[in-house]
Amino acid sequence: MVAPAALSLGSCAGLPALQAERAFPSAATPRKFIYGTCASRSKTLFLSEKRSFSPTAAVTKAVAVDSDQLGSSDPSEQEKPKKYYFVVANAKFMLDEEEHFQELMFERLRNFEERNKEQDFWLVIEPKFLDKFPDITKRLKRPAVALVSTNGPWITFMKLRLDRVLAESFEAESVEEALASNPTELKFEKPEKWVAPYPKYEYGWWEAFLPSGAGKEQA
Amino acid sequence: MAAELSLIKPISKFPKFSSPRPSANFRSYISMSSAASTETKRPKKLAKTGIKETLLTPRFYTTDFDEMEMLFNSEINKNLNQAEFEALLQEFKTDYNQTHFVRNKEFKEAADKLNGPLRQIFVEFLERSCTAEFSGFLLYKELGRRLKKTNPVVAEIFSLMSRDEARHAGFLNKGLSDFNLALDLGFLTKARKYTFFKPKFIFYATYLSEKIGYWRYITIYRHLKENPEFQVYPIFKYFENWCQDENRHGDFFSALMKAQPQFLNDWKAKLWARFFCLSVYVTMYLNDCQRTAFYEGIGLDTKEFDMHVIIETNRTTARIFPAVLDVENPEFKRRLDRMVEINTELLAVGDTDDIALVKNLKRIPLIAALVSELLATYLMPPVEAGSVDIAEFEPQLVY
Repeated sequence: MVAPAALSLGSCAGLPALQAERAFPSAATPRKFIYGTCASRSKTLFLSEKRSFSPTAAVTKAVAVDSDQLGSSDPSEQEKPKKYYFVVANAKFMLDEEEHFQELMFERLRNFEERNKEQDFWLVIEPKFLDKFPDITKRLKRPAVALVSTNGPWITFMKLRLDRVLAESFEAESVEEALASNPTELKFEKPEKWVAPYPKYEYGWWEAFLPSGAGKEQA
Repeated sequence: MAAELSLIKPISKFPKFSSPRPSANFRSYISMSSAASTETKRPKKLAKTGIKETLLTPRFYTTDFDEMEMLFNSEINKNLNQAEFEALLQEFKTDYNQTHFVRNKEFKEAADKLNGPLRQIFVEFLERSCTAEFSGFLLYKELGRRLKKTNPVVAEIFSLMSRDEARHAGFLNKGLSDFNLALDLGFLTKARKYTFFKPKFIFYATYLSEKIGYWRYITIYRHLKENPEFQVYPIFKYFENWCQDENRHGDFFSALMKAQPQFLNDWKAKLWARFFCLSVYVTMYLNDCQRTAFYEGIGLDTKEFDMHVIIETNRTTARIFPAVLDVENPEFKRRLDRMVEINTELLAVGDTDDIALVKNLKRIPLIAALVSELLATYLMPPVEAGSVDIAEFEPQLVY
C-alpha cells in the first residue's frame, strides 16, 4: 500500500480546535504527499456537503510537496475528495477493553505535537459513514466506534494491532463530512473482577480525539 | 527485546534434552539459576557489591539465516502481506521514542539511597534486563543485515528494532553506572554462548517475549503511577513509552507469522503455540517467585502481578497464536503454585552440603513431580484462538 500520508491543507478548515494552533507545520516536518483520488464513489456517498463538487476536479495523481508549502489554504484543495481509512468495532472494545489502544493514541498525539504535525486521526462514535457499509454494520455491535485517519498505512498497522476490528476506506469531500457522527451516550459496565494492580484508564479519555463537532469537546 | 527474553532461555534444551547432563540443564530450566554467566560477566569496575554468581544472564540467540531468507523472499513466498510490513516500517520509522531516553540526576541520587538486599536485587534486575535487550539487538541487527537483499522492507524493520534494543540496553547500562557497575557489551558479544532456534521458534518465542515484556512494564508503570511512594528508582517512569516499543516489536512478529500461515494453521502449530505459552509463563512465574523481594520492594504482590501479566499476555497472544492456554481457569494457577513449591525444594537440595551424586538422587523425584505438573498443565483443555484474518471462527464473530 502506498502512503497517502498526511494530507493536504484542505482538512485544516474542518479540524477540531485541537489542531488549530498547528495549522502551519514547520519546515522540519517530513515531506507529505497529497493525493488526489478517484472520485468514483464519493458523489453518492455524502449527502450534506455544502460546497459544490465536481468529480472531474479530482485528479488521480500524487504530488510530493514539502510540508512548509502546505501553509497556505488554497480553497481549491479543500474541494478535492480525500480518502479516509478506518477500523471499527463496538465502543466497549475500542474505548473500554483495549487499554493499549489508549496508549497508542496518546503516544501518537504526543509525537504529532513534538513534531508540529497536523493531526490526521480521530475517533468517531457512531459514525454516519457506516450507513454506507451494510456488510460491516450487520456484524457490528452498537454503539460502534471508528478510528479514522487519512494515513492508510497507519490504519493498516492499527488493524494488525487490534485484530478484532473491521477495516475499510471511503472518500469524503471534507473532514467534517468524513467525521460526521450520530450523538450517542456511552455507558460501560464496570468489569466484574478487576485484578490489575492499577485502576482503569478514566472514562472519557477518548474525548481528546473526537472531532470538534461531535458534541463532547475537550475543555 | 523485552527483558523477559531471558525467560525462554532454557527452552531450546527442553524439547531436546540433547545435553550430556540433562538433569542439570533441566534444573536450570526450572530454577533459572544457572551459574554459566559468571565467566562471561566482566564488570569494568570491581564488583565489590558482589554480583550473585547464580545470576542468570539471558541467553543470546541465533537462527537459520538461510531459512529466514527463503521465508521472506517475496518471489518464493507469494503470501507475504507487503502492506502490513510497509505499515510497520512507517511506524518504526516514526521513531516515537527518539528523544525519550534522557537521564537526569535523579538516577544517581535514587541509586545512592538504595541499600542492602534491595540494592542487590536492583543491580540484578538492571543486568538481566540490559543483557536481554542487548541480545535482542544482536539478533535483530543480524537479521536486518541478512535479509537486506531478499526483503528490504522486513530487513529495515529488523534494523530499526535493533535500534530500539540498543537504546534500551544502553539506557539500562547507564543505570548500572549509578551503581558503579557496567556490562562490557562488546565482550559479551564475543564471549557468550549462542542458542540456536529454528525461525519458527524464534517467531513464537520473540513474539511472546516482546508481548509479555510490554505487559510487565506497563503494569509496573501504572502501578507505580498509582502508588508513587514505591517509586524507588526513576527508570520505571520511562516504562510507559518504552514498552510501546516492545508492543510494536511483538506486532511485527505477528505480521511475520501471518506471512507464514504454515506456522499458525495446523495441529502442530497449535501444540507448539501452547508449548511456548506454557514455557514462558511457567518460567516467569518460577523466576519471579524467587525474586519476590524485588516486586515487594516496589509494592507489588509477586504472584498477583504475575497472574495479571500472564492473563493479559495470553489474551493478547490469542489474537495470533492458533491456540492458547486456559490461564483463567483456577486450576492453572493452582498448578503454577505447586510448581513453585517443588522448585523451592529443588533449590533447597542444591543448597545442602551433600555430594553431587546424592543431590542428583534427591532431585529425581522432585523433577518427576515437576514434569508431571508441567505435562498436566500442558494438557489442560486449550482455548481456540487466532487472528481474525486467519481463524476459522471469524465468520461467527461479532465485532
